[in-house]
Amino acid sequence: MNGIAVDGVSRSFGTVQAVRSATLRAEPGRVTGLVGPNGAGKTTLLLMLASLLAPDTGTIRIGGVDPSEDPLAARRLLGWMPDALGAWPSLTARETMVTTARLYGISSADAALRARYLLDLVDLGALADSPAKVLSRGQKQKLGLARALVHDPQVLLLDEPASGLDPEARVQLRVLLRRLAAEGRTILISSHILSELEEVVDDAVFLVAGAVVDAAAVPAAVRAWRIRLVGASAERLNADAWQVASTLGVPPESLGGDRGTVLIGFENEESAASALHRLVAAQLPISEFAPAQSALEHTFLHLNQPRMQPAPPAPPAPRTGSEAGA
Amino acid sequence: MSIAHIGTIARLELTQRLRSVGWYVLLGVFAVVLLGITALAFAVFSYGDAPGAGVYSIVVNMVLLLVVLVSPTLSGNAINGDRDAATLASIQVTAASTGDIMIGKLLAAVATGGAFLLVALPFLAFSLVGGGADPLVLLISLLVLAVEIVIVAAIGVGLSGLIARPLFSVATTYLVVASLAIGTLIVFALGGFAIRSEATNYSRPYDQSGNAICDEWETYTYEVPRFDLVWWVLAANPFVVLADATPTEYSPNGYPVDLFGQIKYGVRTAQLSPLEQRWDECDPDYSSDTASDVIESTVPSWFVGLGVQIVIAGSLFAGAWSRTRTPARRLPPGTRIA
Repeated sequence: MNGIAVDGVSRSFGTVQAVRSATLRAEPGRVTGLVGPNGAGKTTLLLMLASLLAPDTGTIRIGGVDPSEDPLAARRLLGWMPDALGAWPSLTARETMVTTARLYGISSADAALRARYLLDLVDLGALADSPAKVLSRGQKQKLGLARALVHDPQVLLLDEPASGLDPEARVQLRVLLRRLAAEGRTILISSHILSELEEVVDDAVFLVAGAVVDAAAVPAAVRAWRIRLVGASAERLNADAWQVASTLGVPPESLGGDRGTVLIGFENEESAASALHRLVAAQLPISEFAPAQSALEHTFLHLNQPRMQPAPPAPPAPRTGSEAGA
Repeated sequence: MSIAHIGTIARLELTQRLRSVGWYVLLGVFAVVLLGITALAFAVFSYGDAPGAGVYSIVVNMVLLLVVLVSPTLSGNAINGDRDAATLASIQVTAASTGDIMIGKLLAAVATGGAFLLVALPFLAFSLVGGGADPLVLLISLLVLAVEIVIVAAIGVGLSGLIARPLFSVATTYLVVASLAIGTLIVFALGGFAIRSEATNYSRPYDQSGNAICDEWETYTYEVPRFDLVWWVLAANPFVVLADATPTEYSPNGYPVDLFGQIKYGVRTAQLSPLEQRWDECDPDYSSDTASDVIESTVPSWFVGLGVQIVIAGSLFAGAWSRTRTPARRLPPGTRIA
């Protein structure tokens, strides 16, 4: 099969169990997010997928190839972008690209063309002949992405690709990843910036303490929604909260506030929708009605505290207006 | 294994080195040192009729000295330095095999040592002006020098793959190379003096008119250090290997014309037992042994020494090779792969 298939993969370093019996799939044509707290084993898992680290147990298939058995075949299929790009400091961006291409067995002429194309693609064309040591962190990230693409890989493993990128570059990265996925490539991307990740991924894999956690198992918990009335301000928060609470028939103490907007918890989308309907029917001037947290962030935070129920991101206790304005 | 990949990796290493100013300063300093050495060497060997051979041998030994002194710094962090800079994994994830990486890095380290030889070439050519140099001597000494450059480079690259921290691997490379170049000398000297035996000196007594009495021996005994029991320690010394392997040219009175021969003579003399010294004035054919007699009558050791060095360098290099293999099962303690 194509894509990435990981079955029961474990890896320990000495006494530290970095990855425990992880099983996951990343399908071709889709962007799969790898989400987990610091030290959850994301980088270790990506290193195993990148054929650099051998799993203690379990099997990995990259486009049907087991990197432990045939690392070379796996490497021709996969492009890996490490979290910290090791750029050869005195080489220019172009030389870095050409050297990497040559190490994939690409001829010198093709390597030069490929380098120019990819550096333009990641918007580094103007810096092609600057040594890597003068590049900023974000520019190095771009170079790392271009390098991961040099041999036109079918599977992309990206470790924190957006870190250090400015907002414009993030948008470009998102567009590029969507395009690469649309071309039928498998993309596995790890990131801490969950709101970012949410805009680009089709699927998400949650990794906690080295183990893959089933996101569906996260209990349907109360989720915070943000309601903003036209002209909301910190001073008006208490009045707004009272209006919302009385319209919906809930105690005002159960509502929270955040920078002038009202936070309220709903069990599910249906109850949110019916609440919105009632608020609009009551002619409240609603200018914003949206989840206060991204879905990914919501799931992620619940995964972190799997035993704590009811889940904490329910609306925080009502705050005074002065505090909410902070 | 692919020649193209090896070439790319070696070029990558060298490009980075060639772009640092310090490297050119180092080579410049080396050229200045060689200039002084060559001038002094001409002065030293001006007594003979073949100063060229002597100057040539001194310049070759200087290159070897520089390689021994500088190479560990340049090759001793080849692998763990890249691991620290997170550039090793970027190469490992490409289609380049572990063998490509190891050989490429070794090649770059050898080329670095070779650069010293390159700087020395004009001085070697100049020394030939003095005359007396034999083509075979030139060829073999350069060949042995090349092998020594490879050995030092392999020790450095090997230790850099086995030890996690660049600082320690460079220091360890120095220690290994120094134990060959200086350690062997120390063991030889201390060992020789520590083992002492009673030696007997035989000579003819003299009568009152000062003529030797030819039917009697006069003897006396004294303690001597037994260098003949520890001479083999020197075999692994790179300078001894160079000198011992190079064919010796003799002056008409039987003494070596160059530094190679003089070192060889010294080492071979240590093989002779000091236990019995005879000085026979009554023997009409009697003459003390010349250097060529000593060298002819003793055993060469360079191939043993070279073998020991190759085993050391080869096993370190092979160990680093298996440590650098990916997908990695075991990592050197205290390292992250990327």
